Amino acid sequence: MLELRLVQGSLLKKVLEAIKELVNDANFDCSATGFSLQAMDSSHVALVALLLRSDGFEHYRCDRNISMGMNLNNVSKMLRCAGNDDIITIKADDGSDTVTFMFESPTQDRIADFEMKLMDIDSEHLGIPEAEYHAIVRMPSADFARICKDLASIGDTVVISVTKEGVKFSTRGDIGTANIVLRQNTSVDKPEEATVIEMNEPVSLTFALRYMNSFTRATPLSNTVTISLSSELPVVVEYKIAEMGYIRYYLAPKIEEDEDETKPQV
Amino acid sequence: MPEIETLGILDEIQALVYDHLQVVSYKWLSRNFLVSSNTAKRLLQEFVEKHGGGLEVVYTLSGWLKSCTPSYNIRLVSGPKLAEAKQEFDGNCSIQVYSVQACIPKDPAALWNAEFVQAEELFKQPFVVDNCLRDNRFCGISNSFVKRNIEVTPVSNVSGQPKSAGMSSLSNTSSALKNNTVLPPQQNKIQQSSPKVGLLSPNVVKDVKSESSSIGVRDQAAKPSADKEKVHSLPDSKRDKSSSGSGSSLANLWGRASAKPKTDCAPTDASAKAQICVCEAVEDGNSEDDAEDVNFRRASNGEGNRKRKVVFDFSDEDEYEDAVNLASPDLPKGQVCLDPEQSKKVLATEKPKLMSNELKEDKSKVKQEKVIDQESHQSMREDSSVVSKRTNTKPSSSEKIQNGAPRNDVNKDKMADSVPNSPKRRKVLKTRIDERGREVTEVCWEGEECEIMKADSEAMKKTDSTTKKAESNTVANNVKRPPVAKKSPALGSTAPSSKAGNKKAGNQKDPKQGNILSFFKRV
Repeated sequence: MLELRLVQGSLLKKVLEAIKELVNDANFDCSATGFSLQAMDSSHVALVALLLRSDGFEHYRCDRNISMGMNLNNVSKMLRCAGNDDIITIKADDGSDTVTFMFESPTQDRIADFEMKLMDIDSEHLGIPEAEYHAIVRMPSADFARICKDLASIGDTVVISVTKEGVKFSTRGDIGTANIVLRQNTSVDKPEEATVIEMNEPVSLTFALRYMNSFTRATPLSNTVTISLSSELPVVVEYKIAEMGYIRYYLAPKIEEDEDETKPQV
Repeated sequence: MPEIETLGILDEIQALVYDHLQVVSYKWLSRNFLVSSNTAKRLLQEFVEKHGGGLEVVYTLSGWLKSCTPSYNIRLVSGPKLAEAKQEFDGNCSIQVYSVQACIPKDPAALWNAEFVQAEELFKQPFVVDNCLRDNRFCGISNSFVKRNIEVTPVSNVSGQPKSAGMSSLSNTSSALKNNTVLPPQQNKIQQSSPKVGLLSPNVVKDVKSESSSIGVRDQAAKPSADKEKVHSLPDSKRDKSSSGSGSSLANLWGRASAKPKTDCAPTDASAKAQICVCEAVEDGNSEDDAEDVNFRRASNGEGNRKRKVVFDFSDEDEYEDAVNLASPDLPKGQVCLDPEQSKKVLATEKPKLMSNELKEDKSKVKQEKVIDQESHQSMREDSSVVSKRTNTKPSSSEKIQNGAPRNDVNKDKMADSVPNSPKRRKVLKTRIDERGREVTEVCWEGEECEIMKADSEAMKKTDSTTKKAESNTVANNVKRPPVAKKSPALGSTAPSSKAGNKKAGNQKDPKQGNILSFFKRV
């Protein structure tokens, strides 16, 4: 028996919007500790990891660990039927092959039940090791989204370089090049508007912008985004979900062309 | 020199030349095996006579040139060019073996490389330590009036020391030194003397000991190229520099690339240069000191100059290589991230190719090296080294392209590998839905999967599957049509504009795009 009651129904809608562009089908794993999802995009370049801790729900009951395979587009369709202020309850019976979304209006005068069929999905759960990152950039999520959107109109890839000077996003396309440099900026009124750069080592990596733009679908979930870079690891783009958990995107870097040119000359 | 020992050295030379691919010059040989330079030359000559096939010999030709302005010329000539070069000399010229090596190095500096490193090390030893370079005991030329007085010289006297220690005859040495008569190959005597010296200046004791022990090790001629290894193992902080200066040979380079952590090349280079300057000064001192005969002075000056020149070339080269080296560990890492085995393979295949390239270039190089005048010799050498640099870069870049291709293939293979996985998954998924009667396209799906397998392209599969899905959905449920139509671009996630579509296609097939599975393992 599974029953999760989330007062902020809109949050679930946002989560689905943040994932469904990247992943078509995924298993939602429910355990006593929380509601989580891990999935790769179909080309196995990016990975999304979602965690909604149980304490973030108004009511959370999960008798046994259950993995529910869902088509995210279908989930999204269901959730679109919920009002923004609705309280959403997710229910599933043990052994059942359906999940029920219940939407209650804030005034309790409208209650809607949507039942959706589950699907079996061979899950490929990946172990993500804890890692020390060379550079961690925390910045307003809207700024990051804008940068990715702007750069994507110029080129296909973004080079993210973190140095002492700041963080630079650059791209190159047929029509020209673009460079956006952000400096550390902590002298702001609101902490969420700060740009904080922690750098142990300069790092520069290249990524496909289309994935980055998919990641920015999570912008409504959080005011800030944290980008963790290490030269031998996938970038982590993390959006914190207030008091509940996070949504993290991992993206494998592109192997740089320039690096080929600096190969040993002997 | 006892016959047995000589034979031992010849075997050593063979091991060095054939197995370690080292350039064995007479200077190196002399210092390494503690024989006089003339003996070393003779040994090399003997070695060439015995094992002449299959190895390259560089000869030293010295004599007066035939040109109208008579000039004394010392020239290094490779074996095949020897007869030709001899013609340019007036009358008799002396021909000695300068070095033997498996092949003529691409970079002429490599000829001096081993002995330069060796010399540098010897110079780096504390001044209280008497080594073969300081007392010049193996030199063919000696000045009986020069007295060495090692014990008295203060340790701090840096500039004075080499000169006073400069050149003196062996017999003189014995009279000048009060501790012992130092006869040429008796290295153990130096070991005895150095601790004594150490007692005088206790601060240096440790250094002296380590150095003397290293000398001791060198004395055991049984260890062929132990020299190189010692360079790395010695505790001296400057050793790294000297070892980084030892570059040039392919084996070294690769060894270093893997062994060396990232270091800043700039300071290293600066100090290396500084060291070179010191060595230079000392060498100059030596060459002035040993100048008794005009001819010999010219010879030695010329040699000194040339050495200096080459040293600088070498350091430039070294800098260049350093930069490469710093970069090179990165790239393998990057590849390793993708798949360690692959990158190893790439490296492995790269090596033979490089070797062959090197061999090819050597021939052209030898031609370039054939020079007439000494001055022009130097300038030409610069030129040729520049040329060689250029030629260096070209083949390697083309090689990169070659290498790039297999790597692409490898990646594609990987993609292909991943393809069967995901279709399987899809198949299961679809059949389940099928059982629920929502979609009736099981057979169709299977067929498609076969297509996919053949297509070997994720993008193809993706678009196919999405359209299929769309189709099947429309078949199954007309009401759902609008969302379905909406769905396919959403699935494509980049399909909406043609540009994005291109991007997607590019990405799907992009060999440069890393795979998340190469970073995270399935659990």
